[in-house]
Amino acid sequence: MDGDQASPALMDVAALTKRYGEQFALADVAFDIHSGEVLGIIGPNGAGKTTLLEGLAGLLPLDSGDVRWQGRSLSRAQRRNATFYLPDGLRPYQDQYVARVLAFFAGVYRSPRAQVAWAIERLALAPVLQKRVNALSKGFGRRLMLALGLIAPQPLLIMDEPFDGFDLRQTRDVVHMLRELAGERPHACACHSSARRCGARMRPVPAAGRRPGACPRNA
Amino acid sequence: MRSRETIAARRAPLRPLLAKEIREIVAGRALWIMLLLMCPLIGYSFFQAVSLYAESSVAAQQSPVLAASLSPLDGVLVPTFGASYVAVTLLFPFVAIRVLGQEKETGTLRLLLQLPYRTSTLIGAKLAAILAAVVVVSLPALATLAWWTSLGGHLSAPETSNLVGGHVLYGLLVGAIALFAAAVTDSTATAAIVALAFTIGSWVLDFTIAGRPGILEWLAHLSLTQILRTFEQGFLSAAVALGVIAAIGGFALLAGIWLPPGVAARVKLAQSIACILATVVVVALIAQTGFSRDVSEDRRNSFPAADARVLAKLSEPLQVSVHLAPEDPRFIDLQRNVLSKLVRAMPDATIRLAAARQPIATGTGDETYGQIEFTYGARTDVTRSTSPREILPLLYGLAQVPVPQPDPGGGYPGYPLRTDAQITLPFFFAVLPLLIALAWWLSRRPPRQAFAFTTETTNDRH
Repeated sequence: MDGDQASPALMDVAALTKRYGEQFALADVAFDIHSGEVLGIIGPNGAGKTTLLEGLAGLLPLDSGDVRWQGRSLSRAQRRNATFYLPDGLRPYQDQYVARVLAFFAGVYRSPRAQVAWAIERLALAPVLQKRVNALSKGFGRRLMLALGLIAPQPLLIMDEPFDGFDLRQTRDVVHMLRELAGERPHACACHSSARRCGARMRPVPAAGRRPGACPRNA
Repeated sequence: MRSRETIAARRAPLRPLLAKEIREIVAGRALWIMLLLMCPLIGYSFFQAVSLYAESSVAAQQSPVLAASLSPLDGVLVPTFGASYVAVTLLFPFVAIRVLGQEKETGTLRLLLQLPYRTSTLIGAKLAAILAAVVVVSLPALATLAWWTSLGGHLSAPETSNLVGGHVLYGLLVGAIALFAAAVTDSTATAAIVALAFTIGSWVLDFTIAGRPGILEWLAHLSLTQILRTFEQGFLSAAVALGVIAAIGGFALLAGIWLPPGVAARVKLAQSIACILATVVVVALIAQTGFSRDVSEDRRNSFPAADARVLAKLSEPLQVSVHLAPEDPRFIDLQRNVLSKLVRAMPDATIRLAAARQPIATGTGDETYGQIEFTYGARTDVTRSTSPREILPLLYGLAQVPVPQPDPGGGYPGYPLRTDAQITLPFFFAVLPLLIALAWWLSRRPPRQAFAFTTETTNDRH
């Protein structure tokens, strides 16, 4: 689902580079995200998708590059004001009940109760609200993470492998929901291929180890 | 529903964060297991201390002189809280590490750091949760105070609250060390090793090199155990209390520096060095703080009130030259009985250590070794005694003031008590553990807000 490509980019990423010693994990990566858009970051295992997303979220130090929000450069600390990043395979606060985890995020962001109820309904979390996070199945664990993303008010949602753990029907439902949401909130998701189902504009990440300049803009 | 503007202007409420931190500690088994272990440990220590105190009281009730030496602080409170000290040193790091270690180990920290809080706020909330945990693990020790009073024992409010405050500060310091350990390591197991290296290491430091001369003596003063000694002696020292608070702040700052994963290690290292230097400077400045108060009921850290009044009026500077090595038992005796009291009674007193080594060690046979020289104004006198009974009249002679008469009826009466603490054993071995187990079970019940979320309709989402 392409957003309004004619309008200025909401987020503009330029020349992101991350090295581990001599090895390049990210080499001069550049892309932009527009309003109402779903951007799929695709690449093989080890290509650096997660590194890119964590760097974007300010959770990983990058060697160089610039992240701009509506034309203004965002420092590492400022990025959390514009983006909310859902890491892959995370079970937050495993000893807590699902309802408490949702209530915590809703309390922090002062989200209306109706919004939390809506997220619970859309992701069918009602049956597990009184379960502990560590007792959730992989699919419910992923839905809980998506619910946190829906509660968080940041204008850009970044998801790492958002469909991992879902069966076909669940993937279809979540894709449907993300399509609906894209009109009011753009997403960037890293995945192998499922992002295509959301109608995402695909953006390949060069495999780790490439030298800078190997992945020019608009590749 | 959502604005496309960033959310920088919003101020996140503290309450959910604090509640979450406390829930994280309560949800862990470490807190409850520690509490359950502390019940018999502290209960038996209290029983033993009361039994010994009661035995000593049999003879003391026949003799006022013996009775004056019976203080509940030394006889009951310090041994009982000593058990709490052991438990806090060995077990509390496991409780405190959980406030951060769990989030680091599971990766939840990546969500936490995206919340609209400053790192200092996150660390502050975690420290507040650790303080709450310190108070909770102090409950068995605090229960002994209630039992002691109900058995007919005497408690002096200033010295008791000073002792409890010292233990709370000590617990918070251990917690801050554990928080720092959790921030610099990737797993809770490694964090526990780092934290125990600090606590047990300082314990070893205390009993292996204490009393040794030179840099070893200075190192021994860094031991965490030394902190409690001041409070256990009924002495409230601003330098010690503020120094501990500064150390807690220093460890919390270090934890804050190492918390964000998005900062390069070399930047964290540079910030850590600056933080350590700043903390050392602050602690050194605090060490100059002269304010202190003897809160012990028997005034063990002060001269008798009549003497203190006369000494406070002596206006000329007093210089004391001590020809004793610091490790000499006579110097330790002089320091405890005279010098520490003198510097607080006379603001213009200066003490100089004239001998660095004992003559036996150096083989010089220095005849002045052992002398203590007092210079007040233009007059000087010398003694070899370390007793205040000898030294105070010498000082009055130098100052040409009469020896003051002791205040009538002002002596410490002592509080002998013949009692049996057997009745407390079922409480500490059965009742209190059952209450703790009940509280543990209650803390694990599902929340009620689940129903509130599900009864909302989705129509008013916007």
